[in-house]
Order: sequence, then structure tokens, then C-alpha cells
Amino acid sequence: MEPFFSRYRNPLVLLALLVVQIVGLAVQVRRVDTGHSSTDSGDPAGVRLIRLWANAIVSPPERAIHSSKLGAGGFWQNYIDLRHIREQNQDLQKTIDRLRLEQAALLEDARQGQRLQAILNFQEKYIYKTLAAQAIGSSGSDQARVFYLDKGSAEGLERDMAVITPDGIVGKVREVFPHSAQVLAINDQTSGAGVILETTRIRGILRGNRAGRPQIVGILADQRIQPGEKVLTAGGDQIFPRGLPVGVVEKIVRDPDRDSFIQVIVTPAAHLAQLDEVLVITSTQPRFSPEQQQDLATSEALKGPEAAAIKEQKKASEIMAEHLPGLIDPNAPPDKQPLLDTANPNPVSRPPMPLHPDRFTPGAASTPAGTAPDTAAPETQPKPRQTPPAPDGQTKSSTMPKTRPTSPAPTGPSKPATVPKPQNPTPRNP
Amino acid sequence: MPVLTANSRRDLEIRRFPLLVYALVPLIALVLQAWLPRLLRGYVWFDLPLVVTIYFALGLRSPIQGMFMGAGMGIFEDALTHHAIGVNGIAKTIAGFLAASVGVRIDVENHTIRVMLNFFLSLLCSGIYVFIYRVLLGLDLEWSWIVELIKAVGNSILALVLFPLLDRLQIRD
Repeated sequence: MEPFFSRYRNPLVLLALLVVQIVGLAVQVRRVDTGHSSTDSGDPAGVRLIRLWANAIVSPPERAIHSSKLGAGGFWQNYIDLRHIREQNQDLQKTIDRLRLEQAALLEDARQGQRLQAILNFQEKYIYKTLAAQAIGSSGSDQARVFYLDKGSAEGLERDMAVITPDGIVGKVREVFPHSAQVLAINDQTSGAGVILETTRIRGILRGNRAGRPQIVGILADQRIQPGEKVLTAGGDQIFPRGLPVGVVEKIVRDPDRDSFIQVIVTPAAHLAQLDEVLVITSTQPRFSPEQQQDLATSEALKGPEAAAIKEQKKASEIMAEHLPGLIDPNAPPDKQPLLDTANPNPVSRPPMPLHPDRFTPGAASTPAGTAPDTAAPETQPKPRQTPPAPDGQTKSSTMPKTRPTSPAPTGPSKPATVPKPQNPTPRNP
Repeated sequence: MPVLTANSRRDLEIRRFPLLVYALVPLIALVLQAWLPRLLRGYVWFDLPLVVTIYFALGLRSPIQGMFMGAGMGIFEDALTHHAIGVNGIAKTIAGFLAASVGVRIDVENHTIRVMLNFFLSLLCSGIYVFIYRVLLGLDLEWSWIVELIKAVGNSILALVLFPLLDRLQIRD
């Protein structure tokens, strides 16, 4: 027996190692309902321990390298290369003031949206709190588009938190360690984010392809989708808040597996290959955060003088309107209207009558040419304006009385332009 | 005059390294593999742990040591991804075994042989990886052999530079 083991020691050890690892794989992979396999439903405790050890070994050197790189770069940027900072600061201050005014203008829309959402029993989540983190390392494999952050559970990170940059979404937290976290980028093949095309409002699922490019899958071929269209988060995946920028449509290709479906290749808004600082959304709430409310209050305060000036202008115009003679007095009878007052030394000038009136002439009927007969209403009825007749030669009732102020019936000789027309001026003949 | 038998020749050519080298070189390889892609904008055209595994397997000429080193490096690499742990481990275990087995029989000082060996073992690792992922595990995985070919060339070039540097670390009598 001993010669057998000594003779085949190497193949036996190889076999044992392979069997152990294959059994380990079998433990991790399980069948899902769709018939496919999956490994992304949470690792077993032993596997998580291995990941924890690997991360504990790799993270400190990565953190040290990153810190030294940041330190050297920071020394140059913060103490030496400070030219034009004052000008940039002034420009930024102007930008902040402008953005605050815009924010105040959009505030009312946001509040109205919140009220409507409350009516519809739908609560949109606002980004309540974020945590800045540094990307310190990657998986080292082009098959796994994951990277590591220098913040972990000790800083409040949890699984499935959204990771973004000011440019757009980046990914979601997949695994959390005490002082680091693993983030699954949106261009990984196993990622998934609900997205919507801004113009066409077509929804789809965003995931990465082999080349590490994000693509929207599972949408039917649609001619309306054009390159350049913006892609936003749809908010249905319970990870990314709605409306965050994802990228723009780069091109549309046919799905090789399904004929009627297409794949929309997206250029990500965030620079996924050059990530340094990212924001992790640690909390979302259906209301504005204290910081946002503080900003809004500042915006309101800044907007105050502008709003007061507009209000003063409005008030002045109302006072002027009260003192100037009106063209139509709702309390005066039609024949006493200021418009027809001959005693007025400054009468309102009427536009000259055209030599060849057509259907565009004021007072003419708005029917297609050739369809309106010349004789419309009986001579006995007042004819305030030429209206299209009914097919049987009767005049249709106008909507003018509904919009005119209600006044008592005219007592004097009526004038066509001012006499309100009854609801049904042409009695039908039996 | 003593006769140089196969075993004594093999014993003479076994390379030995300080204990620190066995610990630090694989660790540095793993850290650089995880860190360098950030500098290279995500382009991972090399597999530093595989190159180090092949180097030690060739130098030590022990299939068991090569297998264990390959398994350790592969499992460590898997642990840094979000994939199942063991896919890279199996691939590099086989690579370590084959490299050590070849190292017993041929002259591994020749640069051409080193480059060729790295090239073919890189491709073999890629093939084992995709086989395990798609066939054994039944997982969806898009694959491009062009990328793997580029990676194999990258590993070969890396070996050409790295092997002479690591040769300097060995213990010489």
C-alpha cells in the first residue's frame, strides 16, 4: 500500500486538492427558480471568512499606497500649486449664488411634487445622508468589476447601499468588512440597476458586458431610441434613488440571443475606470435632509429681495389698473360700456375694416373656406358675430355668453357687438 | 569520478529562497494585482499571481509545492472578487502542478522556454476558468478569447522581466 501512495503521491494530492475545491464550489453555487445558477445570494459563513481574511491582508498595503499617493499629491496641490485660487473661489461663489436662486425656483415644484405624491400614496426617496469614501483597490480581474472602499461597517456602511459620484451612479455595496467595503460596479456582468430613458421613458435593466461597458438589456426594438439620449435611474430597484444620472446612449445593437430585443450600450456618466472619491448613500428619506433644508432657507433668503421687487411691480400695476378707465365695465349696461362711450374724449380706436374680409378677419366665422354660407341667421335675430350655421340652416349657439359677465337684458336698441346672446337664440320650428 | 544521476542533478538545480521571499513575493504579487488595474484604467492584461506561481513551481521542481502555491494564490484571488471561491484556485492548482512537472524534465533557464511555458499555461488557466464557470457551475459568462490571448502575451512579457529579478533572490551556495 505504501509504495502505491509514494508512487502516485503527486496525482493523488492533485486529485484531493481539486475535489476539495469542487466541493467548495458546489456549496457556494445554487440553482435559482429560473433554472440558472447563482452565487450572488449571500456567501456561506466560511466563504465570507475567507473573503474577510483576504481583504484584511490586501487592504492595509493598498490603503498605505493610496495614502502615500494622496499625501504626495496633496502636498503639491494644497501648498504649492495654488495659483488662480482666488479667482476660482470668486467664480465658485458666483456659481453658488446662481444655483441657490435656481434651487429656490425649483423648490416650489419639488413641494408640489411631494404633495401630489402624498395624494397618490407614493413616497419618493430623497438622498438624506451620504458618506464620502476613497476607492483603494480592485479585484484584479477583468471578470469581476468590483472595487474596494476605505470605509466599512465601522463607518456605517451596509450591504446594498448605492454608490455614486456627482457625475452619476457607480454601483452598490456588495460586501462590508469592518474598515473596508466591496462595491459591485454597474459595468459588471452580474450587476443590475433599474433605469429609464429620459425622453422616450422606456425602462430597462442596466448591466455590464464582457468588455466592461454598461448596457441596457431586456427592451424591445424601438426606433425612438437614439444615441445621445440621457439615461436615468428608475428608482424601482430599491437601491438607487430615482432620477440620478446614469449616462447617455452610445449605440443600439441587436440582442444576439433574442431577435426582437435590442441592447442599448451606454456611456456611463461616472468615470468608472478612474474612480477616486465616491459618495455612499447611507440614508434616504421621503423628505429633505437638514442640510438641504438649510440650503433652501438660504436660497429663500437670497431670493427675498428679488421676490419683493416682483411683488411691488405687481401691486403697482394693479393700482394703475384701478385708476385707468376700463374697456368693459361689468356693472354697466351694454350701451353704457366705456368702449362705446361717445362722450369719451379719447375713444378707443377701432382697427380699420379690410377691403376684402376673409375668414381671418375679426368677427368672421372660423370655418373652412367654402363651407360657411353667407346667410346664417334670420334677420330678426341679433347677429353679434358670424357663426357657422347648423346643417339645417340654423345658427349654432355661441359660447360667448358663458364668458361674458352676466348683465341685465338690454333695454335700449341693441348693438351687435355688445348684446349678449341668449343660450338658444334660434327657436326650432316644430 | 562521480556520476551525475537524474536525482542528484535535480537536487543540484532546486532553487532555495529565504523564507521571507516565500511569504512576501506572493503577497506583493496579490497586492499589485489588486492595485495596478486602478492605475491602468481597468485594463487587466496580466496575471501576476499566475506568473509567480509558475516561477516558484519551476524553481522548486516540486509538484506538491507548486499545487499548494497555485491553490493558495487562486483562492486568494477569488476571495477578492465577488465570484465563487475556487474557480481560480482549481485553474492555478493545475497550472502549478504542470509547471513543476515540466520543470523536472526540461531546462527552465532558457528564456524562450520560460516565455512559451507562461504563454501556454496562461491560456490553459483561462480555458479551465471558462470550463468551470460555464460547464461545471452553469453560470452565464461572456468570454473573449482575444482578451485571453492578450493576457497570455502580457504574462509572457512579464515573466521575461520578472524571472531574472526573482532569480537574484535565491540562496546561492
